[in-house]
Amino acid sequence: MNPEPFLQLDRVIHEKGRLAIMSMLAAAPELSFTELRDALGMTDGNLTTHIKALQQEGYVSVAKSYQNRRPLTTCTLTAAGRKAFTEYIDLLEKIVRQNKNK
Amino acid sequence: MAKVSVINTGKLPLDKCRFVMQSHYMQTNWAEENLQTIRTLMERSTLYRRALAPIVIYAGVIGVLTAAAGLFFHFERSQIFGLVWLSAAVVAVAGAFLIVRRQALKDDEPFWSPPTRRVAQTLLPPLAAGLFLGIIFSLTGLAEILPYLWALFYGCALHSAGFFIPRGLKWFGWIYIILVSLALGLVAFGYIKINISGHWLMGFFFGVLHLVYGAYLYLTEKGKNAA
Repeated sequence: MNPEPFLQLDRVIHEKGRLAIMSMLAAAPELSFTELRDALGMTDGNLTTHIKALQQEGYVSVAKSYQNRRPLTTCTLTAAGRKAFTEYIDLLEKIVRQNKNK
Repeated sequence: MAKVSVINTGKLPLDKCRFVMQSHYMQTNWAEENLQTIRTLMERSTLYRRALAPIVIYAGVIGVLTAAAGLFFHFERSQIFGLVWLSAAVVAVAGAFLIVRRQALKDDEPFWSPPTRRVAQTLLPPLAAGLFLGIIFSLTGLAEILPYLWALFYGCALHSAGFFIPRGLKWFGWIYIILVSLALGLVAFGYIKINISGHWLMGFFFGVLHLVYGAYLYLTEKGKNAA
């Protein structure tokens, strides 16, 4: 098997929790912190850590606002994040295809 | 020596070749599983983040109008009551489908997408039970119980759908379940009579509650894609 696609996988996205966050954000214009937490069954601390890692990489942008006088944190996938996610998916598909052709 | 004897007996040892084959299989498996997980999460995330407020308001208007018509024209006979409200339900469901379809077309997305299918599957059992019992109870002259039953089934349906649709739908379902349970408790203890006009109850459950929830959705929605 050509190991190249596997080695090209983005290490930041490749982590299970972060991949789940990226997948959710890739399909929605934006998601609140609570929506992500509830959908993924993560703790506040865990989700915060993963979002910070993605934010540092420039894959996710975080906006803080107020809704009904309550603080609301929303996360959005950036253009760089969408590109990285698409590339990650392409590589996964390439791995599957390569192994099926063997 | 031990390895040679294993080969001689015809059994496959866990040598490098086998390990590599196993590794290939695991990687394919892992990649496929990851893709499947990503697909599932994306589907879950794309759920009705649109059109919920118009649907709820629309259902509320249908509920209020039907209740008003029922009270005005005295549609009190069991069969007529059942027919009127089941027809209203058909109109409400058809309208809801049209609103969702219009939104899907506008956003250039497929209407009958996997998330839509999942929500429809979730709603189906309680709504089908409501339809079935609605027909049976209407025909047998037991329509007084129908507003409670329908509201209870509807509450269960909303609660289940709430796992795939955000914006407090689960809580909205709970409101129905709690209100109906309380009301039936009061009926059981004789504090209220079950033969109160069903149209008032239906108007409240399917008209007023929808309008209140719809107003909440409108007031709290953010952006065009929010539910």
